[in-house]
Amino acid sequence: MAGAFDFAPAIALLPFGSFLVALFLGQYMPKRGALAGIIATVGSLLLSAWVALTVAGGETYNEPVYTFVAMGENPIQFGLLLDQLSALMLVIVSLIAVLVHVFSLGYMNDEGETGLPRYYGELGLFTASMLAFVMSSNLLMAFMFFELVGLCSYLLIGFWFRRDGPPSAAKKAFLVTRFGDYFFLIGVVAVFATFGTAQFAGEESFPHLAELALSGEGQVTTMFGLGAEAWFTVVGLLILGGVMGKSAQFPFHTWLPDAMEGPTPVSALIHAATMVAAGVYLVARIYGFYALLPTALAVIALVGGFTALFAATMGVVKREIKQVLAYSTISQYGYIMLALGGGGYVAGVFHLTTHAVFKALLFLGAGSVIIAMHHNENMWDMGGLKDKMPVTYYAFLSGSLALAGIVPFSGFWSKDEVLYETLVHGIGTDGGLGVVLLLAYAMGLIAVFFTGFYTFRMVLLTFHGKPRSDTARNPHGVHWNVKGPLAVLGVLAATVGAINLVPVHALVGSVPEFLHDWLYYGPEMLNGHHYHELITAGEFGGMSAGELPGLGETGTLFASAGISLTVALAGSALAIALYRGDSPVEHTDRLGSAKTVLFNNYYQDEYQVWLAQGLTMNVARAADKFDQGVVDGVVNGVSSVSLFGGSRVRRIQTGIVSNYATLLTLGLVALLVGIGLMGGWF
Amino acid sequence: MVPIEYYMVLSAAVFCIGVFGILTRRNALMFLMSVELMLNAANINLVAFSFQNGNLTGQVFSLFTMALAAAEVAVGIGIILVLYRNFDDVDVTKATTMRW
Repeated sequence: MAGAFDFAPAIALLPFGSFLVALFLGQYMPKRGALAGIIATVGSLLLSAWVALTVAGGETYNEPVYTFVAMGENPIQFGLLLDQLSALMLVIVSLIAVLVHVFSLGYMNDEGETGLPRYYGELGLFTASMLAFVMSSNLLMAFMFFELVGLCSYLLIGFWFRRDGPPSAAKKAFLVTRFGDYFFLIGVVAVFATFGTAQFAGEESFPHLAELALSGEGQVTTMFGLGAEAWFTVVGLLILGGVMGKSAQFPFHTWLPDAMEGPTPVSALIHAATMVAAGVYLVARIYGFYALLPTALAVIALVGGFTALFAATMGVVKREIKQVLAYSTISQYGYIMLALGGGGYVAGVFHLTTHAVFKALLFLGAGSVIIAMHHNENMWDMGGLKDKMPVTYYAFLSGSLALAGIVPFSGFWSKDEVLYETLVHGIGTDGGLGVVLLLAYAMGLIAVFFTGFYTFRMVLLTFHGKPRSDTARNPHGVHWNVKGPLAVLGVLAATVGAINLVPVHALVGSVPEFLHDWLYYGPEMLNGHHYHELITAGEFGGMSAGELPGLGETGTLFASAGISLTVALAGSALAIALYRGDSPVEHTDRLGSAKTVLFNNYYQDEYQVWLAQGLTMNVARAADKFDQGVVDGVVNGVSSVSLFGGSRVRRIQTGIVSNYATLLTLGLVALLVGIGLMGGWF
Repeated sequence: MVPIEYYMVLSAAVFCIGVFGILTRRNALMFLMSVELMLNAANINLVAFSFQNGNLTGQVFSLFTMALAAAEVAVGIGIILVLYRNFDDVDVTKATTMRW
């Protein structure tokens, strides 16, 4: 009997079909391809749900679909790996994709945009690439779809290519992520060279081979004379380069705020479910590999914690609603990285899930506000929208509470678990790794304060107070196709945390931790239990869970939750205190020169532009000079010497046939005389 | 029977006359004739050795050479005609326009 797994390829092929349909036939369809996209993504969602149910029944799937290059024992294949992690991600991605397609009806069709077949085509291809990426069974296939996701984001960010901003933002997104992807590509090659395979799962998978090699049971080829662990760390960090580019981690985060130039539904898709999620999903996918490498884990945690804090501070001063959300996205992905680096696999995946929901909600809510404000995104022109658009307000509020991490909204549960896991592993682990984890934890904790602050600053400026412009006094109405997705996500953002109520579970044992159980009982070597063993094993991750002095395990859990909740509430309360009232003023002006630095994004763009123009350009120019001058000079010199010599030497040709005959005869005579002399005739 | 040396001397003499003609004459027709002389000097050699060895192959070969010489003359005369049309002369030293 055909089961869910037999239809799994269709999860990616359906949106791909909608891409073709929208692109070629969209012009003739009633909604310019939107219906094809909605039907396809709903189909993907249903199939994903079916796959998830089948996986919940205990079955998993890891089979090749198509052999790309047949070579010996380890052919390069396209395959599907459907386990607990990918099934969860499939459901998230297709759910967000459906809602974004529906929302696009309101944001694009009703606003009279042109080029809609192209828009829906790209949206379909984007969804298809991401779904295929999620299902990939090996690193090379993952890399290919990773790149396709990057290409589609480039196309979508630059959708309004006739304006000035979007094409430049699209190019920036493409180039910055590509820079990271160079490292990823080298990493893929290194994985092939080291293990001979790039499979994610099974006995012959590269994480498993790495595990065997590190425990001394297997042999691998390392390079540059490095030991196995050092070399694996290098490979892991190379792959991490691609992850940091895609997930916009410091210092590759600069593309993401600019990517706000794209249509808002696209921003929701990019930042909630696809592009940016692809990076951290990859780390979770090969967590069995990273769990072996304490140095790589320390780097991941440190980068994550730093990015979380760094981006959150910049979100505090921004004027435009989407810019605030952009920095919050960078910051939240920092948390996911922090969780993964801190040994909290389940926490990372949990935050990935809740963040996908509440960030999609916030972006779609921002999109609704932008429709209402006639595409003015400046929060200082808004205000008082609460009464005019209640559905958007309450949905947005739900997302904001989740983002700020206020109990009992979803973000609280996941962010708390992220911080808790990092804290206990930081306390319990000896040596440098423990210190790094504690440092990363501290940065994550401070970021919670800023998160609460910028979130409520955004909410109050947008929805509360008195309208500060004419458009805000008479906002444009929005239809069901905007309110529907918002309502769905608003409810989810409030409730999705219920899938993993760790503190409640600790208190009342009968409340299950669904996500924890879900991820812990995956296929062999791909489940959270195995990762936990690797993380805590002395010869691999070398972490161990500690607890705050005198509190015990449960006490530490509640202390951690209490601390982060207090900090979040403090940040939120400060924002509410400063920005409430009818006409709030820009309190961040009091920061003085610090604000200038924050507003200019710590001059990150400037130094990267300097790197490109001041440094790379000069190096390229010098290389060009060398090429044009030295290399081409030698080649040209040889050719002009030949040409000059030829032009002189050809003068010996007289064109008189008698002369040639004379030469021939003389030559013959000389030959005869020569042969005669040699042969001794005379 | 005439000894083979006499034929050789005759053939060498005819060949040298041909070479001398090519080296000294400027008239294209004389050129052609000198080339014919050289060809026939070779023919004499072929026939003489064939007679010496009692083997007819050389004589047959010289028949081929004569047929070839006839064809060559046909082409040669054609070339000379074109030469005359282009340069109003059959002097081979005048036709130097194709050198560089």
